Amino acid sequence: MIAALARTTIGRAVRAVLVLWFLLPLVPILLWAFANRWPFPDLLPQQWGLDGVRSGLDAGAPNAFVVSAALGLAVAAIATPAGALAARALASGRLPLPRVIEAVLFAPLILPAFAVALGLDVLVLRTGVPSPLAVVAVLSVAAIPYTTYLMRVAFGAYDKGFEEEARTLGASRATVLVRVHIPLLAPALSGAAFLAFLVGWTDYVVTLLIGGGRVVSVPILVASFAAGTGNSSVVAALSMAAVIPPLILLTVVARTGRST
Amino acid sequence: MSWRAALWVLPALLPVATILLAGLGSALLQSLGLMPLVGAPELTIEAYRMNTGDLATSAALSLAIATAATLIGVVVGVTTALTAVTGRRFALWAGTLTVPVPHLIGAATMGLLLADSGLLARLFGLSEGGWPALVGGRWWIAVVLEYAWKESAFIALVVAAVLATRVAAYDDTAAVLGASRRARLRLVTFPLIRPAVVAAATISFTYTLGSYEVALLLGRVYPEPLPVLAIRLFTSVELATRPQAAAAAVVTAVLALLAVAGALMMLRRSAVWR
Repeated sequence: MIAALARTTIGRAVRAVLVLWFLLPLVPILLWAFANRWPFPDLLPQQWGLDGVRSGLDAGAPNAFVVSAALGLAVAAIATPAGALAARALASGRLPLPRVIEAVLFAPLILPAFAVALGLDVLVLRTGVPSPLAVVAVLSVAAIPYTTYLMRVAFGAYDKGFEEEARTLGASRATVLVRVHIPLLAPALSGAAFLAFLVGWTDYVVTLLIGGGRVVSVPILVASFAAGTGNSSVVAALSMAAVIPPLILLTVVARTGRST
Repeated sequence: MSWRAALWVLPALLPVATILLAGLGSALLQSLGLMPLVGAPELTIEAYRMNTGDLATSAALSLAIATAATLIGVVVGVTTALTAVTGRRFALWAGTLTVPVPHLIGAATMGLLLADSGLLARLFGLSEGGWPALVGGRWWIAVVLEYAWKESAFIALVVAAVLATRVAAYDDTAAVLGASRRARLRLVTFPLIRPAVVAAATISFTYTLGSYEVALLLGRVYPEPLPVLAIRLFTSVELATRPQAAAAAVVTAVLALLAVAGALMMLRRSAVWR
């Protein structure tokens, strides 16, 4: 049956439908981003141009990009080492109550982020925690399940023999960490950091509820345009710009995965 | 047991436990009138009682959207993963492209694709009135499709990872031993990927249940899914609706937990998991 999917005409048709399913929804933003005028029912824009890009730049896109990148990097910087350490502890098999700890660590995957953010909002206001800090904290928590899971899988496949061999040959603990440990785990670490970055880069609802209008990230900016009508080209230009940087990162991460 | 291992888990465990307990605990207390913005705290279930009708409608709608999106996501995702095992990975690669797309932007582009002035309506040459109400219509089709679109890619990647590691070898063995294609799929592949499919589907389902922006952009004004109801009440100028907003958030969290309990029961029954 699996082989049948590869060879037959039906298999080819199934694959074509799947590719269309995944790629077709991306076509409208590709076209609209460069459409100055595109009245209905024309199939293609009447006039191509960069009006959407310009309006986006005027509306504060550069600032929003800095904010989104900072959010993504902060979340990656916190959630990747935290997840890696937790995964190492889980993999060691010497953790008290491992089932309970796993359940807590993976709980952010299933508990609605908006409900957590909605509850926290009042506490953040009362305790006077700066809202950008609170946003980073909540998003890091949302990212920890992903980093922990990826690193857990990596530690599962990790061969302790390399480490022991290096130690036998006289390498210090620090040398082993830098020359053996981190290079072996590099693909998993970069994958985990990428996913954590995405959590910060793509979030809308946590930034909206806890940021309280002070943290204007790219999704917040896109939403402010998408709510109105007649802004299709700005929305599309901003959307393209929001999707391209992580796609470039994804290629880089995939490279690290292959070369090591 | 070791204290060192316990120490290593703390940088992840402490923030997760603190934020979840503080956030959901505060939502629960607010919904029960124990954390009023003004006035004295008083235990009451008024926020749930006053709004029971809306809460029930919203819960049913949220569950329906999440179920429909997850079902489509599972079928498309598993099929994509199966095509990738054969070495033709283009569909899986196309799916990977959608992973970095924020749901908000997914909603925006789905709107530009499916609305009555969208790309598909232009493509099929249907003028106003001829195109079905996919965006903002009765059946929440654009909303369901947006979630199914992103979820199917997520499920495909999870299942493809499992297929790549274990299933291919078992499938070959079964083939050598003379099992037919159909028998292999039913007796080897499906049981082996089942835990991964259930886990990925549960994550997708609970995500959709608690997602706000897609339904806001592509849905209709009434009825509202739970998150849309909660955030509308929460951001309303009237402070009296805050407990009701918190009640809607609590109901969403409870439904998500129930879904996970159901998934765990399904996994327990699966032989591979034991």
